[in-house]
Amino acid sequence: MSSAAAADRGGPEATPIPPGPAVPRTLLVGMGNPILSDDGVGIRLAQALAGRLPAAAGLAVEEQCTVGGLNLLDLVAGFDQLIVLDSIKTKDGRAGDWYRFDGSALRETMNLSNVHDANFATAMELGRRMGMRVPDETDIHIFAVEVMENLTFCERLSPELEEALPELVDEMHEEILALLDTPFRGGSRPQASAVDVWTT
Amino acid sequence: MSRKISIDPITRLEGHGKIEIFLDDDGAVEDCYFQIPELRGFERFVVGRPIEELPRLVTRICGVCPASHHMASAKAVDGCFGGEVAPLAVKLRRMYYNAHYIHSHIAHFYALAAPDFVLGPDADPAIRNVLGVVAKVGLEIGGAVIASRSKAQEIQRIIGGRSTQDIWCIPGGVAKGLKPEELEEIRPMVADLYEFTQFSLQLFRDIVLANPTYLDIIANGPYTLDVHNMGLVDENNAPDFYDGQVRVVDFEGTELHRYEARDYADYVAEHVEPWTYLKFPYLKQRGWKGFKEGIDSSIYCATPLARLNVADRMATPKAQEAFEEMFATIGGHPSRLLLAQHWARLVEMVQNAETLQLYCDDPEITGDQFRVIPQRVTGEGIGIVEAMRGTLTHHYTCDADAICTSANLIVGTTNNNAPIQMVTRKVAETLIQPGTDPDQGILNMIEMAFRAFDPCYSCATHSMPGEMPLRVSVRRGGEVTHEFRRGC
Repeated sequence: MSSAAAADRGGPEATPIPPGPAVPRTLLVGMGNPILSDDGVGIRLAQALAGRLPAAAGLAVEEQCTVGGLNLLDLVAGFDQLIVLDSIKTKDGRAGDWYRFDGSALRETMNLSNVHDANFATAMELGRRMGMRVPDETDIHIFAVEVMENLTFCERLSPELEEALPELVDEMHEEILALLDTPFRGGSRPQASAVDVWTT
Repeated sequence: MSRKISIDPITRLEGHGKIEIFLDDDGAVEDCYFQIPELRGFERFVVGRPIEELPRLVTRICGVCPASHHMASAKAVDGCFGGEVAPLAVKLRRMYYNAHYIHSHIAHFYALAAPDFVLGPDADPAIRNVLGVVAKVGLEIGGAVIASRSKAQEIQRIIGGRSTQDIWCIPGGVAKGLKPEELEEIRPMVADLYEFTQFSLQLFRDIVLANPTYLDIIANGPYTLDVHNMGLVDENNAPDFYDGQVRVVDFEGTELHRYEARDYADYVAEHVEPWTYLKFPYLKQRGWKGFKEGIDSSIYCATPLARLNVADRMATPKAQEAFEEMFATIGGHPSRLLLAQHWARLVEMVQNAETLQLYCDDPEITGDQFRVIPQRVTGEGIGIVEAMRGTLTHHYTCDADAICTSANLIVGTTNNNAPIQMVTRKVAETLIQPGTDPDQGILNMIEMAFRAFDPCYSCATHSMPGEMPLRVSVRRGGEVTHEFRRGC
């Protein structure tokens, strides 16, 4: 992220909400741990996509993000749209499939279940209630890749995910371009409520 | 071409924690096992790498306490190069760590502990979160929480160059010093943080101590264990978060051990159980005696409360006042009331804020002698710090070319594996009696025990959405009679 972008972000003390910039600001985040096997897939995707996405006005890319909870709020404050690239592990999931959902799909997890910190949705909602400029939940787009191995320290992805990576980048690139091209209207933009999964 | 279907991954997450409760023929708890996924292979992963790389790598072990790993690793690496560290670097590392402590404790207290006490343990889970706390106590408090966390993090960034994934500690010192203008930037933030610690203590008095129901839960609930305590202390037996000697005190207040970091292997050993990958540290000289409470037990806690239990006093005056008030209220020192951990965190926050103030007034803190260039490789180093979640040990060896040949880590939460196991069983035994049906409430009652320890298990389940899915199964005669799930 550029220092100018960082300086322009609304900080946690930014109450009341500062006026929004003329150009909507989008933050693309690669979430994960680069030395924990497939857990780093979000980072690999962000690195690949950062080089392919146009230098769109207001777009900032944080290729490696390992923070969560309230720390994530610090990172996101000041942006109007958030795109998160992350891993996910579901029952009977197939490595390389990927899901896309918006912030509302995480709403039901907004309970006290995170053992360390406020969870993602709670942190975002807290920011909103504090008057911080935080993306509306319909402007939070999560691209989560089904992974195989995320408990063993290793700098490489599993072979299955490594093979799937180019296709994942292509598919997500299209989706993200569409998001960047869509006129931004905050929470009023129509969104699919379902969680979508792309399976190859 | 991709095919798009719709699912709900939130209810299908893998990698969950499991609690298996076994009932006897009468319906009483016979056994209870808590199992959790664990990250694997870090010790093997680092072998063959330049030893000075480890303080940067270890920050990736855990997104929750990266600074603790960074500090313990740096101290172990210092040891591999002979152990000489610039005195100014030690001060700066301590200063950074004071800010990190405040940052972490604020998050835990307000996001995790407060909901149980501000809203009550019986509150609807949908509102039992930091949003519910803010709704009840006021938006301005929410703003203060966020601002204070942010200031603590900003202090870390100013001192260490970054606030996460630290790369600042290097063998013999730190990579950058503190400029006079940076100190002046920090100074008002430190003053604000001190005020926030006093505010938090008052909030605790007003909301928790003024409520007899909450006090009853703390004092008379199932959240007690007669096990021993571990923590770092300074030469005056006050808590020391960065260095000092490890002190072990039993639950009656008698000192059992006091040792230097380099001797840790003489005092701590790890027991293995066949039903979990997690190891269970215990007091080695007593031998493994099972998950047993009592004065002869070999189980210990390494937590905020344990740190205050092993201490005779605090290192700073306002923290000392808070220390005395806390133990006078909860029935004396040391204490076995596990839920007093939350209060202990606030007391620790005060000492960290006061210590930060002292460093701000230290005329040497903006000096430029912040590193000693190592001249030799001595091959072995052991670094111990107090991570927020318990005593953290890093032990490395390297060859003559300073390439890592072995690493052993005992992380904060691992120290507490056995006590967590034991209190889980205790809660289950309390809730599940012959003739009564367990219900969903068991989840929060057990999680209240987890939260007291603030365990680091979620780093094993990093994937979205960043929480630990949990399943509680109650079995009788081999059959599952009840099952409660959250997020899996």
